[in-house]
Amino acid sequence: MTKAKQDQFLLLIKENKGIIYKIAKSYCKDEEDRKDLTQEIIIQLWRAYDKYDPSYKLSTWMYRIALNVSISFFRKSKKTANDISIDEEIIHLTDDPSSGELETNIHLLQQFISGLKELDRAIMLLYLEDRSYKDISEILGITETNVATKISRIKEKLKQKFSLINQY
Amino acid sequence: MEELALKDLWQSYDHKLNKLLEINSQYLREIQTQKVRSTLRPVSTIKIIAVVFGILWVAGLGFLVIHSLTISKIFFVISLLFNMIVSTIAIIIYVKHLVLISQINNSSDVVQTQSKLMKIKLSTVQVVRILLLQLPMYTTWYINEKMLSELSTGMWIFQIGMTTLFTFAAIWFYRNISYKNLHKKWMRILFSGKEWTGLVQAENILEQIKNLE
Repeated sequence: MTKAKQDQFLLLIKENKGIIYKIAKSYCKDEEDRKDLTQEIIIQLWRAYDKYDPSYKLSTWMYRIALNVSISFFRKSKKTANDISIDEEIIHLTDDPSSGELETNIHLLQQFISGLKELDRAIMLLYLEDRSYKDISEILGITETNVATKISRIKEKLKQKFSLINQY
Repeated sequence: MEELALKDLWQSYDHKLNKLLEINSQYLREIQTQKVRSTLRPVSTIKIIAVVFGILWVAGLGFLVIHSLTISKIFFVISLLFNMIVSTIAIIIYVKHLVLISQINNSSDVVQTQSKLMKIKLSTVQVVRILLLQLPMYTTWYINEKMLSELSTGMWIFQIGMTTLFTFAAIWFYRNISYKNLHKKWMRILFSGKEWTGLVQAENILEQIKNLE
């Protein structure tokens, strides 16, 4: 692959690091697994980058790969001696000293999302990322009606969970 | 929490991440130059190894059959032939899996990709079920002309008992090994822990897909 294409890919990852991080965090509670998953998503994106079909939006292509890799991530093997230590993290969060109600609510929302079933989790992540129903339906391969129904049910569940927490 | 509040919360998270997330560009370059490899064991590699060993196994059995075609070794030949048939069926299933795996594209929609992946994963159960049909053959291959004439009544009873037991076991496994029985304890023992977890997860995802369609 040409240097220009390599640089383009670097830029793509830099611009979308948040998406990759959020998806990996939603599918892996364990810190080490999340590092592995982030790496795996980027490896798969890189492998597929040359065959990217421009008839799809770049974001659709990216979400599809990231979600497919995350959902099937449980097929994991032991690392070999040749693998570079995962201590070197591709996308990492710098120290965040802030705390308060906002952080607590973000943490709760993340927890609720992580507790959803794999496909519901994907739907909710895409919804929160402000993707249109059409985009979500294209990424997941279900009808827009199904997307709408599912989102409404999941939101209801989340609302209930938040209101339960607020009661205490 | 209302719709907008949820999205606002997520947006705040997004802003925070954009400020705090850092990219290790050098590590990313290493991925591009393939110095960093996938930690996932490709499913296809395992199946290719199984197909190669399977073909060698069947070829070896075929060699033995060809060089044993005498009436005195009839049990040996029939047992090996049956083993060859069962092994060939398993090889064919694995080859079909390899074709399906080669058609899987992570950039296809999530439901389609996961459906294919999970079906392939679950069909491992089918292969085990078929392979276990060979069980009775391991109690008959060594029977020869000399044994038939010299075996005592007690040993005959033992021999027939063992073959009957193994035949029933093979039939029972064939009828009961199914992903519908995944949650039974004996299935968990039959498939090692990690593989069983993967199978259960595959079953769950297929169920979720069914509910979405």
